[in-house]
Amino acid sequence: MPTPDDERFEAYLKQFRPLVPEPLPMVERSHRARRRFAPGAWAAAAVAVLVLVALTLHIRTNRAPVTETIGNAGNPEHLQDSQPLTMRSANALMAKTPSFKAMVDDMAFRSQTVPLPKGKRSAVAVLRKEKIKL
Amino acid sequence: MHRTDGNTAEIEFLYRQHGPALLLFAHAITGERGRAQDAVHQVFLKLIEKGSLRQVADKKAYLFACTRNAALNDSKLRDRNAPLDTDSAWFIPPDRDYAGEQNLRRALEALPHDQRQVIVLHIWGELTFSQISDLVGLSSNTVASRYRYALAKLRDSMFAKENSCANS
Repeated sequence: MPTPDDERFEAYLKQFRPLVPEPLPMVERSHRARRRFAPGAWAAAAVAVLVLVALTLHIRTNRAPVTETIGNAGNPEHLQDSQPLTMRSANALMAKTPSFKAMVDDMAFRSQTVPLPKGKRSAVAVLRKEKIKL
Repeated sequence: MHRTDGNTAEIEFLYRQHGPALLLFAHAITGERGRAQDAVHQVFLKLIEKGSLRQVADKKAYLFACTRNAALNDSKLRDRNAPLDTDSAWFIPPDRDYAGEQNLRRALEALPHDQRQVIVLHIWGELTFSQISDLVGLSSNTVASRYRYALAKLRDSMFAKENSCANS
């Protein structure tokens, strides 16, 4: 038989209420999905911005030498002998020279000094030294 | 909640109603709050999946039995004699009596695990001795005597500590 002391003690113990458990995972799932989505969206946005910045920088760095080349092509002094003749360089040359004839002359009589490997001579140089009796 | 049928709503209601006592009961078995929480969640999620609670006559006793099985299975898988985690709170104390809450926790920890289960089931689970006897597989008389022993020990332990604190 429970004594009055026991009943009082039980009543005292019942004043201590057990802690409430965490919500069931299924209830939390939708919130978690939202929480997961938010950082994911931010990460995707950050990656997109980085890609855009990288692309912009890449395009700019590629464009700079092109404009430089075009600028150089416009200057006839920059035309080197080893540089192949292109439509762009021809147009630039024509813009700088007074006439079409002058441009063609310039292109035709430019000295083309192609370096030969060591120990080899050009045919013209050999023929020049030979005394040919006609 | 994805499934909003009547069964799920009823299970949610039971979770809100008995969740705290079930958690305390699982905590008294596993000795660790996280594992106790997992055991309770496991029981309710299985119930939601199966939806088999309608055929159960005594739902509260059934929930305690399921929680006991889940907690014991967990304890079997891990260290069965793991010490109780007495650092984290088990109760919401009345009038912010945190010292009393700690005192109660320590006193519960000092009880043998079978007596601790009976105390928790009867006082905070509000199960009758008959229900507890079905749950633990003992006679009602054995459960009642075990309860009285446990209650006396608990009281001695708590008030002895309080007296020693008052004297010191």
